[in-house]
Amino acid sequence: MSSMPSPEIPKLAEHLFRQEAGKMVSALTGIFGVHRLQLAEDVVQESLIRALQTWPYYGVPANPAAWLMQTAKNRALDLLRREKFFNDKQDEIAASLERLPEEGPQFDDEIRDHRLRLIFTCCHPQIPHDDRTLLALKTLCGFGIPEIASAFLASEAAVAKRLTRAKQKIQDLQIPYEIPVGNDLAERLDAVLQVIYLLFNEGYKASSGDALVRADLCEEAIRLGRHLAEHPRTDCARVHALVALMLLNASRLPARESPEGELLTLERQDRGKWDREKIVRGMMHLAKATGGDTLSEYHLQAGIAACHATAPDDASTDWPRILAHYEHWMAMSRSPLVALNRAVAVAKVHGPEAALEAIAGISDRRLLESYHLYHAVLGDLAQRLGRDHEAADHFRQAIRQTSVEAERTFLSEKLSGCVSEGEPAIP
Amino acid sequence: MNPSTDTNNGHLLLFRSTNWHRGMAPEEIQRIMADWTSWFEGLQQKGMIAAASPLENEGHIVAGDAHTDGPFAESKESIGGFFMLKTTTMDEALAIARMCPALPYGMKVEVRPVAPACPASKMVEEAKAHAMA
Repeated sequence: MSSMPSPEIPKLAEHLFRQEAGKMVSALTGIFGVHRLQLAEDVVQESLIRALQTWPYYGVPANPAAWLMQTAKNRALDLLRREKFFNDKQDEIAASLERLPEEGPQFDDEIRDHRLRLIFTCCHPQIPHDDRTLLALKTLCGFGIPEIASAFLASEAAVAKRLTRAKQKIQDLQIPYEIPVGNDLAERLDAVLQVIYLLFNEGYKASSGDALVRADLCEEAIRLGRHLAEHPRTDCARVHALVALMLLNASRLPARESPEGELLTLERQDRGKWDREKIVRGMMHLAKATGGDTLSEYHLQAGIAACHATAPDDASTDWPRILAHYEHWMAMSRSPLVALNRAVAVAKVHGPEAALEAIAGISDRRLLESYHLYHAVLGDLAQRLGRDHEAADHFRQAIRQTSVEAERTFLSEKLSGCVSEGEPAIP
Repeated sequence: MNPSTDTNNGHLLLFRSTNWHRGMAPEEIQRIMADWTSWFEGLQQKGMIAAASPLENEGHIVAGDAHTDGPFAESKESIGGFFMLKTTTMDEALAIARMCPALPYGMKVEVRPVAPACPASKMVEEAKAHAMA
């Protein structure tokens, strides 16, 4: 469904509704209480629908965001008058709603605070791990159930059910709506960072699903991370490291696919298309991240991303430094994926034989067997050693294990490079 | 030309269903809104729209001695808005109705030719006007 945008619509920021939805749900939750999360969501949904019903006939209002907030407030007041439940608190809540200022700098601050409280609520240790991400997407980022289902390859019914259960849990356990303090903060912050990291990766990895939705996921994760980095209580080294890592990796998104939709590896990307603004902002956060004495996995990943982002071309990439980052990361993480990525860096620094040895030494190597990139790496290494027959087998295996069209095309090209033409020239 | 559905008085499009948007993502709502606006403005620029408006869900129903007041429950059948088109043929009106951006989401568009005044009553009106002059 696409048609020419009307002259009126450019006044609307592209993702206005999604962004406003997240803000409004957070602000209204602050007033109704987190146990009425659903009510806040309903009221916000209704204000968007109201816009859908009236703007096309009467035009877009001068300040669409303020219009939406005002409509949501009116609707909320309406519901309050009808609900007996609120009788004793009605005046107080109505007064808070009246106090909610319209858009302005002050409002932005308050909103940021509300969004952070809500993400701490969504990531509470008593909410099951997987549900935290879903809740954050739905309530904070304004994603619809169909979009979430497509991003996580789950059915809409399953997503809806899990969301209802998670919201019930917030209500039953009376999970607080606040940014934790003291001893709690460090541990709770880690849970929040993990969810933001997951959101980002869900968008960043080239899995199946709508490309637009995936890019939005990355942007939302960055936005939430920056809120944390800007808040005095959560402005700490590993938060900056995570934001740096997301910005630096996201800077490459515009260059990752060819116009034909073909997936481009780092060395084949047009570095002129990298998002310079993101790189600069990422490097600034990385500088802030190195201030403290903590070294998180986010630091190392950001360090690796920075090596790529600051290399003017592939040949001048500082691979020894990248390898050193991987060594540190290996010491912190037992993930075979980290070890596999380290092997790629080993190949760049010490050659393919050393890389194969490194792979042979991965302790949980069998966990990688079902991962297409594992076979793609093995194929590459074998090919560089002139063992084309073996390389072809690996590429075939890799193709069998991915359903993403762009990756299949990429791997098929690799395969054809080592089946018929003998020794291909690989730098 | 089909005399019963083609008319010099235009056609009325009634948009039925006030719950077609349930569960929709904010992003999607915004997209449909953009599509609807450009559809509507396109028709306006071509001079096809005589009148158009969304309808409030609030309202009253007066029936005999009964009186119901809204807001009315969202339903598949209730009317959410209308276009009064300056179309002359049913085919023309149908072609416009088929372009409604909410159709894929379950909205129904009812297309009704506006009937000309009955010739007999028109004569009565004219006679009245004459008598008053």
